[in-house]
Amino acid sequence: MTLELVVLIKVVPDGKEVFVDPVNFTLNRSMATNVLNPADENALEAALKIKDEHGARITVMTMAPPFAEPFLLECMSRGADQAVLISDRAVAGSDTYPTSLTVAAAIKHLGKVDIVFAGEKTSDSSTGHVGPGVAEFLEAELATYSRSCRYEDGFVIAERELEEGVEVVKIPTPAVVTVITDSNNPRRATLRKKLNAQKKGIIVWSLQDVGLPSDWVGLRSSPTVVKKMLPFPAIERKGKVIALDMIDDFVKELVDSGIIKRGGN
Amino acid sequence: MSEFDAIVVGGGPAGTSAAMRLAANKLNVLLVEKADPPGSKNVSGGVLWGNSLSGVMPDWEKTAPLERYVKSKGIGFLTKDSSIDINFRSTKFNETKTGYTVLRTKLDQFLNKKAKDAGVTVVTGVTVDRLAFEGKKVVGVEQDGDIITSDAVILAEGANPRVAIDSGIRPPLKDEDVAIGVKEVIKLPEKTINDRFNLREKEGFAGEYVLGFLDGGVEAGGFLYTNKDSISLGVVISMKHLRENNKTYSYDIVEQFKNHPSIAPLLEDGKVDEYSARMVQEGGLASIPKLYGNGYMIAGDAAGFSFSNGLILQGMNYAIASGIAAADTVVEAKAGSGISEQSLSRYEEKLMNSFVLRDMHTFKGIGDITWGSLIHQKMPGVLEKVMLGLFMEDGEPKKHVNQIVKEALKSSGLKSSKLLLEGYRMYKRM
Amino acid sequence: MKIEDRLSLLNYKIDKSYAHITVKPDICETCPDHFCTFACPAKCYTLIDAKLNFKYEDCVECGTCVVACAHGSVSWTNSKGAHGVKYKYG
Ligand SMILES: Cc1cc2nc3c(=O)[nH]c(=O)nc-3n(C[C@H](O)[C@H](O)[C@H](O)COP(=O)(O)OP(=O)(O)OC[C@H]3O[C@@H](n4cnc5c(N)ncnc54)[C@H](O)[C@@H]3O)c2cc1C
Ligand code: SF4
Ligand code: SF4
Repeated sequence: MTLELVVLIKVVPDGKEVFVDPVNFTLNRSMATNVLNPADENALEAALKIKDEHGARITVMTMAPPFAEPFLLECMSRGADQAVLISDRAVAGSDTYPTSLTVAAAIKHLGKVDIVFAGEKTSDSSTGHVGPGVAEFLEAELATYSRSCRYEDGFVIAERELEEGVEVVKIPTPAVVTVITDSNNPRRATLRKKLNAQKKGIIVWSLQDVGLPSDWVGLRSSPTVVKKMLPFPAIERKGKVIALDMIDDFVKELVDSGIIKRGGN
Repeated sequence: MSEFDAIVVGGGPAGTSAAMRLAANKLNVLLVEKADPPGSKNVSGGVLWGNSLSGVMPDWEKTAPLERYVKSKGIGFLTKDSSIDINFRSTKFNETKTGYTVLRTKLDQFLNKKAKDAGVTVVTGVTVDRLAFEGKKVVGVEQDGDIITSDAVILAEGANPRVAIDSGIRPPLKDEDVAIGVKEVIKLPEKTINDRFNLREKEGFAGEYVLGFLDGGVEAGGFLYTNKDSISLGVVISMKHLRENNKTYSYDIVEQFKNHPSIAPLLEDGKVDEYSARMVQEGGLASIPKLYGNGYMIAGDAAGFSFSNGLILQGMNYAIASGIAAADTVVEAKAGSGISEQSLSRYEEKLMNSFVLRDMHTFKGIGDITWGSLIHQKMPGVLEKVMLGLFMEDGEPKKHVNQIVKEALKSSGLKSSKLLLEGYRMYKRM
Repeated sequence: MKIEDRLSLLNYKIDKSYAHITVKPDICETCPDHFCTFACPAKCYTLIDAKLNFKYEDCVECGTCVVACAHGSVSWTNSKGAHGVKYKYG
């Protein structure tokens, strides 16, 4: 049986074009164009690699307004087989909880699924909730922070990049894998594939299609409350260059200025 | 059967205009643009002169993203310490708008969307590699090993025409063909701009400058255009003269212009928000390649269509008009004998009958003069001396204007006969 | 304003798997003029210890260097897949 892979994507404002309002710390997105969330590009590439090796059907999915369509087509032209847009007025204002719920419902609606890929986090909100949330609702195994993964006889073997080092996990399918940014080189779409994708088009589902009542989603069913936006103070770099033979002096300077403490021995 | 009636390579003003015009004639068109979003790699000064867009969009003045219309036009000769400015304002510009300032990312996105709405298949984010040939006939384009077929291809790929060069249908560019355009966008509040340039809402200023003060005698022209809440400012540097100089950095020249005593106050408190650069087509008639062949045509900057006299730079209007002419040629050929080298030769005829090639013939050779040291090195100095002679009160007995001019010419080492000769040549060509 | 500061205003989507411009080090080695270092508006060409250093990551795709280099060292291709510079005004 062909492997069924799902890749979750999100369209986000280009992080390099978003600025923090200096007064109330909200994000100014007025100059920003939309892009595919960077980690999602790596998630798609991770799925495509498994497709290259084992053959698979890849479905890309997003819950978004219709402006996401070109990005779904872009994913199809990189090698995904179909794309689903979950678009419904009722989902407006949803936080990661109803989003995970809706996406999980859509995945179930799709039928059998082996591996769900998602970006480890999105560049615009950075919660990292949706992948684990979907795993919970699907009752699937989960591997977060994956930098590479492969499929072997009903199992996903993922290398997880953690602060302490790399952990290799082997989990049975169905599984959710969240992929970290820059973990692979996303392939390019070709003109031919872009034309084919445009011809084929995307699938649009409403809440009703995926079998969810509209009062389970949206702003009112979202537990997140934004109380206040606070700035994360920028740290001024001193930009000092230290010659190799000055290391001892440098360490002393750091200690003297209270930046580091000398360890006891 | 080809997949498309026509493929247009490049979604700048030339390509989008061609595509819209083809679609308006019910042809099946593919437009391929390498940037995504379209326009995000393009740079213009930019004033969109003239009314060429009306050929594909009669209501463009109401719908296109235009910053301000040119109400005040300036020409300046800058020396190290002085500037001699001519400022022309006219209420005539209110009635017939001759130019609008634009920002290319906005304009090009708009044009690509209009093309899509008109029924063009628009594909962005892919770079066409080459033309696809069957024998000598162009049968489509090649991209990443695939061939997409069409009856005709219009190349509208801009100032560095890689597809045309790599397909062997035009020679590589030479020093004389191009200049280096370097630009900055400087943010200023709308009101500040209105005050500094004596403008009201929607009114704009477009100034071009002869930079006669640059270190090492580099020759460059400067421009300063007002947008709604920013200023577009930049320089166009002759490749040939920068090479002869070979000690000034192109990116420093725009700073020298910005710091000039008569420019700096206009920019005060402004925040540089973008730096950009793009090659400019400047060769005039001499650098125009063969414009058509069996199954293809070249339009816009890729064909070297632009007008520059070292002061003013126009390319977008030429791009649009040539794109439309190329599209009409395809439409007529398909309705008539079909696409062939013969039927596409009508393209050149159309251009000869429009301002595109007519202007280029009229101004043939003007580059020699404008980039000549006369305008760029000597003229500003001579004018400065004349002005100082006229207006400086230094306690010396007043001189007759004639005398002042003579002395100024003499100290610049210019013979008045040479000035007359060059002046006459210039006059003839302008 | 320093060129480095001006370049830092730009948004690039850097293509890690494809360098759209390359130079031939053996040609640059004997270059008499290094005109590319003066012509390139993005300071992609610099001399480090009298040796030419080229980095494509800061390139704004203006096209200048392929004309500027008179010695056939520069191979210039278009960036691919919407990689490279992305202007907000243009
Ligand atoms: C600094 C500067 C100031 C200028 N000022 C003015 C001004 O004030 N007024 C004016 O009228 N003109 C001005 N010009 C000139 C003007 O910008 C050009 O003449 C005009 O942009 C030409 O339009 P075009 O459609 O031919 O090419 P472009 O606008 O360059 O468009 C070409 C398009 O093709 C795309 N492309 C290229 N190769 C490929 C490929 N292989 N596959 C797919 N897509 C491809 C490019 O991404 C681009 O979008 C200025 C130019 C510069 C650099
Ligand atoms: S790229 Fe060309 S101009 Fe630059 S150093 Fe090499 S040979 Fe010389
Ligand atoms: S294309 Fe322009 S910016 Fe890029 S390396 Fe060449 S000269 Fe520099």
